[in-house]
Amino acid sequence: MSNLLLLPVLVPFLAGAVLILLRNHPLIQRVSSAVIMTVMLLISIQLLYTITTGGILTVELGNWSPPFGIVLVGDMFASMMVLLTSIVGLACLFFSFQTMARIREKFFFYPFYFFLLTGVNGSFLTGDLFNLFVFFEVMLISSFILIVFGGTPYQLRESYKYVVINVFASGLFLVAIAFIYGATGTLNMAHIAVQVAEMEQQGVINVAAILLLIVFGMKGALFPLYFWLPKSYYGPPAAIAALFGGLLTKVGIYAIIRTFTLIFVHDTAFTHNIILALAGLTMFFGVLGAVSQFDFKRILSYHIISQVGYMVMGLGLFTPLALAGAIYYIAHHIIVKSALFLFAGATQKITGTTDLKKMSGLLKTHPALAWLFFISAISLAGIPPLSGFFSKFALILSGVEEGRYIIVAVSLLVGLLTLFSMMKIFIYVFWGGPSLKRSDYAHIKLLPLLAPIIPLVALTITLGLFAEPIFVFSEGVAAEILDPSIYIDAVLEE
Amino acid sequence: MSLFHFVVLAPFLMAVILPFFYYKFRSIHTGWFLLPLPLVLFLYIATYIPFGGGGMEPVIYSVPWVPSLGIDFTVYIDGLSLLFGLLITGIGTLVVLYSIYYIANKQDEPLQNFYVYLLMFMGAMLGVVFSDNLIVLYVFWELTSLSSSLLIAYWFHKEKSRYGAQKSMLITVSGGFAMLAGFAMLYVIAGSTFSIQEMISQAGTMVQDPLILPAMLLVLAGAFTKSAQFPFHIWLPDAMEAPTPVSAYLHSATMVKAGIYLVARTTPIFGLTQQWFWILVIFGLVTLTWGSISAVRQTDLKGILAFSTVSQLGLIMSLLGMASAALHFEYVDQDTMYVTAAMAAVFHLINHATFKGSLFMAVGIIDHETGTRDVRLLGGLMTIMPVTFTISLIGLAAMAGLPPFNGFLSKELFFTASLNAASFDIFNLQTLGFIIPVFAWIASVFTFVYSMMMFLRTFTGAFKPDNYEKHVHEAPWGLLISPIVLGSLVILFGLFPNMLAYTIIEPAMQSILPGLTSVGDQFYVNIYHWHGINAELLMTIGVVLFGLAVALTLPKLYGAGFFQRERDPLNAVYDTGLDQLVVQSQNITKAQMTGRLRDYMLYMGVFIAGLGLFTLFRYDALAISLEGQGGIPIYVWLVTGVLLACTLALPFVSGRMTNLILLGAVGFLIALLFVILRAPDLALTQLLVETVMVVLILLSFRHLPEMTKESKRLLSTSAKAVVSIAVGTFVTLTALSVHAYRSGADITPISDYFVENSKTLAGGYNMVNVILVDFRGLDTLLEVLVLGVAALGIVTMIKLRMRGGEDV
Repeated sequence: MSNLLLLPVLVPFLAGAVLILLRNHPLIQRVSSAVIMTVMLLISIQLLYTITTGGILTVELGNWSPPFGIVLVGDMFASMMVLLTSIVGLACLFFSFQTMARIREKFFFYPFYFFLLTGVNGSFLTGDLFNLFVFFEVMLISSFILIVFGGTPYQLRESYKYVVINVFASGLFLVAIAFIYGATGTLNMAHIAVQVAEMEQQGVINVAAILLLIVFGMKGALFPLYFWLPKSYYGPPAAIAALFGGLLTKVGIYAIIRTFTLIFVHDTAFTHNIILALAGLTMFFGVLGAVSQFDFKRILSYHIISQVGYMVMGLGLFTPLALAGAIYYIAHHIIVKSALFLFAGATQKITGTTDLKKMSGLLKTHPALAWLFFISAISLAGIPPLSGFFSKFALILSGVEEGRYIIVAVSLLVGLLTLFSMMKIFIYVFWGGPSLKRSDYAHIKLLPLLAPIIPLVALTITLGLFAEPIFVFSEGVAAEILDPSIYIDAVLEE
Repeated sequence: MSLFHFVVLAPFLMAVILPFFYYKFRSIHTGWFLLPLPLVLFLYIATYIPFGGGGMEPVIYSVPWVPSLGIDFTVYIDGLSLLFGLLITGIGTLVVLYSIYYIANKQDEPLQNFYVYLLMFMGAMLGVVFSDNLIVLYVFWELTSLSSSLLIAYWFHKEKSRYGAQKSMLITVSGGFAMLAGFAMLYVIAGSTFSIQEMISQAGTMVQDPLILPAMLLVLAGAFTKSAQFPFHIWLPDAMEAPTPVSAYLHSATMVKAGIYLVARTTPIFGLTQQWFWILVIFGLVTLTWGSISAVRQTDLKGILAFSTVSQLGLIMSLLGMASAALHFEYVDQDTMYVTAAMAAVFHLINHATFKGSLFMAVGIIDHETGTRDVRLLGGLMTIMPVTFTISLIGLAAMAGLPPFNGFLSKELFFTASLNAASFDIFNLQTLGFIIPVFAWIASVFTFVYSMMMFLRTFTGAFKPDNYEKHVHEAPWGLLISPIVLGSLVILFGLFPNMLAYTIIEPAMQSILPGLTSVGDQFYVNIYHWHGINAELLMTIGVVLFGLAVALTLPKLYGAGFFQRERDPLNAVYDTGLDQLVVQSQNITKAQMTGRLRDYMLYMGVFIAGLGLFTLFRYDALAISLEGQGGIPIYVWLVTGVLLACTLALPFVSGRMTNLILLGAVGFLIALLFVILRAPDLALTQLLVETVMVVLILLSFRHLPEMTKESKRLLSTSAKAVVSIAVGTFVTLTALSVHAYRSGADITPISDYFVENSKTLAGGYNMVNVILVDFRGLDTLLEVLVLGVAALGIVTMIKLRMRGGEDV
């Protein structure tokens, strides 16, 4: 029992509410949101530390003991996600200061931003399936607004599809919850896990599991449920796209991993093999999308899909090593993907476009931007010794150990195509003859643009060069989630 | 961390601080700051050479890196890594010196890039050869690919440079990825270790594992792509876009030998299989022949050297294959016959580095001083550039295999080894083995031919000043020092080959073929020119005579057309493959990402219904219980019936008003059902929602656009109908099954608790209200937030209209 666990939800919630009132004071909005975001980062570091050293934290809301009331649960996995949220939240916020049109601040950009984070953090921390639905709603309604934010015709058109598909997913989620409640008579996830274990996960419970997989798969952009993603992420400003690209699908993935390590673990020969197959298809079709595009942001959007496949691959293999790899991968991906979207924004600010064929020769004029991007790009492709390599390596090693050669082959092929498409960006944008005159870009100060991204790039290097502590931590997370009794005991036995 | 770890890391550390020197001391050529490093490293590594000649004890230093994944940074120094370490740092020193004069310190020249890449490469390459841990080796391996690509694209404004860089990266990295999978398999076979030496110690049991063959093929994919073996060699000629010092260093002397290194290093494991022998020999010989024939057709001097490198790498590869045969015999140390191949491989590796390095540098000089490398323009440089001419002559003679240069010695050893291999009584060599010396001989003829032609067309004939844009003269001494050093080594190793015998060659052979000699014993290594008149000598004489004839007649036979198709035909595979990759992925992506919501819903519907129904039937979960259904009054049937009818009618009516009325009817009927089922709160909510909806739509009715007729094709319409019905069926069946399941299971739902306690604990009679505001108050709070955000969002959407492009 610790109220520390409430803060990652409560702080952005209240911050968003207060910032609505400061609509006409952009400077105050900016300063206070920067302060709040920094505080959130400190809180999440403290939370992770507390949980890693002291074990799982729970909060019973309204003092109604589980399974009857809602309970927030912070284990290592959840608090790691909260920390990652704060990191990219901070980076994207600072980037938005540099790049976003001032008019947006008058239209509640910061409140939406913090409400989104409320939903994201809540989704990580909640221990109740229905409450997860509600946090999803908070996240989704904020994301709806942010994705259409600015109201250009393109945004309106694409976010309409985003909204319809996600509302459909929410409807299915509700149906799945109804089924699960119908079969188990409870909503608390730990309690559901107990009931499902007692029933030995028979019959219709598997159907509910699959339905839940589909629902979270829609949020997490799995094959063939990812159609809403690539085009809708192209519309909003880079700071928002970076936050979305890093975080939102990962909430879905988190939910899949949570439910399929805590609850539905009694028939892995069926469920987890389906997950593995979906993982392979997801990464394959995602990367083909990336290969087919010639636009900075679109390539990155498709890569979200392909990368999500790797995380789910770790779950599908369902070994401690593979799950540790998946955990590592999530951390790596959130950081690198956000960084890459921010690079797209920085490049767009300089060149005025995201179309690769209209850019050229930036290595000569903007070497710092070029090399920072290069590091992130090859990290995404899994080139050593950066973070992308070790996470992918753990997955591949586990795949070989288990004799799952097809998925290993697919993941390596996808890695290669990832490299190909990321190199495509590098070749078009940074190599080649100069396309810009000095007067075109001289007024744009590079350092403030890069300042929010540099910490992210530093993280991917650190996560690679000093992989041991990160990997040990990931193994710890994997061990924790692979033993559902730890979570169940923490929630139900008090 | 031992001092030797810093040998590997020093170039990286230097790379970090080098740009500082570049910007701080702009007037001094950055290369000078860097030059001492490889020299010091060379001298330090050289201290490990067993000058006494008493064999070499391997030295190991280890620090953990990622121990939980079995990754330790273990430095392993034995004969093989020592040889490579000396090559990397030694030639590295010469190349840096050469580059200082080759790349002028102009205002715009990004020298810091060049030298940072070069240092990255040097460190990575040292890492590859000194790492005992396969994963550390892999890490450095990919870094060499990366730095190589960056160096190829050093002049990235040139289209060809970018093409070459991308090609080399794609090919070598794809090999690298395959290799990584192979390493993972080796890890599994070896029982959870990545240490090469530990694997070698249990090689006998490892090769019993059925996984060894795929592991071997995958590792070879890495080695072959890196070492430009047929058919992966096509990246190497395009890599010649790199500045010539890079070509001399990476693409002939060191990086392309990383694959050779890996093969030599893993021979003690894989060499125990028969496939290893044949794969290496066949790929090596094909590469050797293909490369040498292709080299003849080149008109670019660097093109000739590139294919020549391909061919020579094939030669070494095939020798390593033959060397592995020794592992299949007992008591080999008594007989040099079995180890000649290993000796030849090591010796030729050294020789190739020296003569090819000097030739690349000479070509660089010619390019630098004349402005062209096209043999059709060149000619008559013998008198104008006498020093360059002499260096080239030595290098070409060695390459062609003429005495008294080192190339002759190793070529003779190659012939000996191939003749020996043909006589072994294993692997069907008695019948098939004859192809080895035959291929060796044919390839040598062409090697002689292109060496000869390169010499003739560059240095002899008439000098035509009009062909050049500059005034042609001999290069400055700075450019000449490095090739002179290498050329001198060619002569030195040619005249005194045995100075290498027990210092370098024998220790390296011990690494390739460990455990064949008894402890403390050594292989017998003695290299000399005159063996009497034997088969090898006759083969060499045949090469010279036949080669001369071909070199003189070939241009006449085929005319100029033969030399115009210089691009390797295999490039077509790569080029169309890459094009098709993009085109096909565009097709596939367009097919799914149609941009039409109805398609997306259709795809998802197929998936949901398909997977859902499959699961339902797979688990035999379909159960419909009619228990407790008897007492349904007639009016409920009636309401439900009308509800169903309204819903079913929806897709068939046209006109927005009719749609609206039907939808409204559905909503109100549901409210009625709620009333019947005694849920007044829900009924009230439903009624409110319906009313508000109707009011809203009526308010905006005037502003809604005309409904456009969808083009209704029967096929797509019926597909949508089928999928919709399937999804609906799935949800309905599951709902019924859940109900049935629930009736059969003994569960106390949490709602019982709410029923019991809403009054006693929460003080409210209306259980629904208590749940909403107390038991699950957080949900309600958040739903309020959702509504609030939606309201704010509507304001934003209405008032904030941007055109796009205002910001990023």
